[in-house]
Amino acid sequence: MESKKIIKNIWEKAQKINRPLRFMELCGTHSEAIAKHGIKNILPKNIKLITGPGCPVCVTDQSEIDIVTGLALAGIPIACYGDATNIPGSLGSLENARQKGAQVHIVYDVIEALELSRKIPNLVFWGIGFETTTVMTAWGIQEGLAVFSSHKLFPPAMEALMANNKIRVDGFINPGHVSAIIGAEVYEKFKIPQVIAGFGAEDVLLAIEMLLDQIISGEKKVENEYTRLVKKEGNQKAQKIISEIFEIRNASWRGLGEIEKSGLKIRKKYQHLDAEFIHRDLIAKIKKEIKPRKSICRCGEVLQGLIESKQCKLFGKSCTPDNPQGACMVSREGSCNINFRFTE
Amino acid sequence: MKNNKIIELEMGGGGKKSEELIGNIRKILSVKGKWKNTKDDGAVFDLSRDATCCVSTERNKLVFTTDAFIVDPLFFPGGDIGKIAICGTINDLSVMGAKPIGISLSLVIEEGFLQSDLEKIIQSINKISKEAGIPIVTGDTKVTEKGKIDKIEITTSGVGLAKEIISNDGAKVGDDIIVSGDLGEHAVALLAKRFNYQTKIKSDCQPLIAEIQSVAKYLTSCKDPTRGGMAAVLNEMAEKSKTKFVLEEKDLPYKKETVAISELLGIDVFSFPSEGRFVATVAKKDSQKVIGILKKYNKSARIIGEVQKGKEVWLKTKIGAVKKIEVPRGKLIPRIC
Repeated sequence: MESKKIIKNIWEKAQKINRPLRFMELCGTHSEAIAKHGIKNILPKNIKLITGPGCPVCVTDQSEIDIVTGLALAGIPIACYGDATNIPGSLGSLENARQKGAQVHIVYDVIEALELSRKIPNLVFWGIGFETTTVMTAWGIQEGLAVFSSHKLFPPAMEALMANNKIRVDGFINPGHVSAIIGAEVYEKFKIPQVIAGFGAEDVLLAIEMLLDQIISGEKKVENEYTRLVKKEGNQKAQKIISEIFEIRNASWRGLGEIEKSGLKIRKKYQHLDAEFIHRDLIAKIKKEIKPRKSICRCGEVLQGLIESKQCKLFGKSCTPDNPQGACMVSREGSCNINFRFTE
Repeated sequence: MKNNKIIELEMGGGGKKSEELIGNIRKILSVKGKWKNTKDDGAVFDLSRDATCCVSTERNKLVFTTDAFIVDPLFFPGGDIGKIAICGTINDLSVMGAKPIGISLSLVIEEGFLQSDLEKIIQSINKISKEAGIPIVTGDTKVTEKGKIDKIEITTSGVGLAKEIISNDGAKVGDDIIVSGDLGEHAVALLAKRFNYQTKIKSDCQPLIAEIQSVAKYLTSCKDPTRGGMAAVLNEMAEKSKTKFVLEEKDLPYKKETVAISELLGIDVFSFPSEGRFVATVAKKDSQKVIGILKKYNKSARIIGEVQKGKEVWLKTKIGAVKKIEVPRGKLIPRIC
């Protein structure tokens, strides 16, 4: 009953600190694990867990959704991960495009996309995600897969969050899988308690206890709870293939706006496989024609932990997992989706 | 039906080739039962004369059900679309406390489908029909142009007779909630095949008639967790019986491998379907007896929770927290990472 013991420790330590604490989990899979095990329900009242911008679908900017949907509607076959088909854009979602006759293929991994691309001419794979999925996309490009890259880097988003004075966070639960790729050192520049955690109930609970320990002792460092997978220097081989294929650029994040040096663009050497280059004329045309749809969806604030899902007027009313208005409701890892499914 | 031969459009045309195909199918289906099949458009069952072969009272209720099946892949560890199609209808009748007396079988086949595959499917239907002693009494076969459907679609309907109907709205506060065996293994078998994972788990697809009949008189409500899995079925039962279902996570019979695959694919294990399991509620005083009987069929039969006052389905997690189990929503789509 290891977890019972950790919970007991958490209660004792939280009482000792005796002030409201806000911890942000940065990875969508952590949000899912927290909901799945009911972790929020057993924490002391003064510990609040808030969900950060760690769901790749949720932070994908409207403009990118519009371009990919525009490409699909113009007859370019698109392959993408399942969640990405449901995000509503100005032109509807990719699923809406498919209903209108566009070729949209859901794949589970890059290998599947690559196999499809050998059968379907002009297929474009829509690469979404952080360092974890980027590695596989990079490999796909090496193997000849054409890609539209919406890939993003994780640490710049943390930097942006830290720079926002409105956000008060006492500690971060850092992502496990992203860290397996990028390592633990990159987080050292953030002067705040951080624990890299795995995805079991005990992993998350232990991470919370470790954050409390840091607060009690007044430390602000990066600790690694997920030692069975995350190494200090990360996965060098994966980092190498990412930098071989991609270069860093500025990127727009839903809710966070443009963040410097936070996106990944396919290098010129591989531009023959870069959908942005291959279809540049078409994309220019799509961009010109799109009239961005205004919505009162507050995904952006939810993503930064500024408001709770239920504070959004759409939540649970016109916005549900069946009929999502914003990206946070689309993905299983989105905080609105999780909050909807696991009513607290 | 020869090995490499394919189904032709003509075989659904109503002419000689149709007759041949139907003849071949009928040859395989060996269980006849008490039905009189007069080569008319339907089969005839004499209720006043033959109902006693099924149930031992004159006051019978007729239960009628239908289900359509589209399965991908068609063949998977532990079964195929034919087995699911017949088990599905037998089980829909069984969970209502009815004894199935006859089943209809309609096939829509895509042109170009392998005759040998069709034969395999019909043979597995026949195997279950024989084991359960339930005849296929009428049917239909259509062939569509290539590309109009995905390989084959099967519809089965069934009629059954019941002395007492077990409904899914009868759960009483204080009842125990039981399951008849390990859960979600049909989903695992299909997903493993779809994604090429190695697994020893086979589909749990099987007829439930004997198991349910052996404990039917003790069940206050009953349902099989097929589409939507436990999450859908338990919510339906709790809502209809206006009670709250509280489950113990540690008692839920999901194998380690089943949970691992659900986590790997990001699909909630509670929405994993089973095709040969049932969940029921039983008065607390009877539950040990019921589990004792059910264990003869499946060692994993067990109590998983309790019916309480209130609403919705709640899970006591292993770490001691409580969380709500929602009805599966949206489409079952893979998530990203």
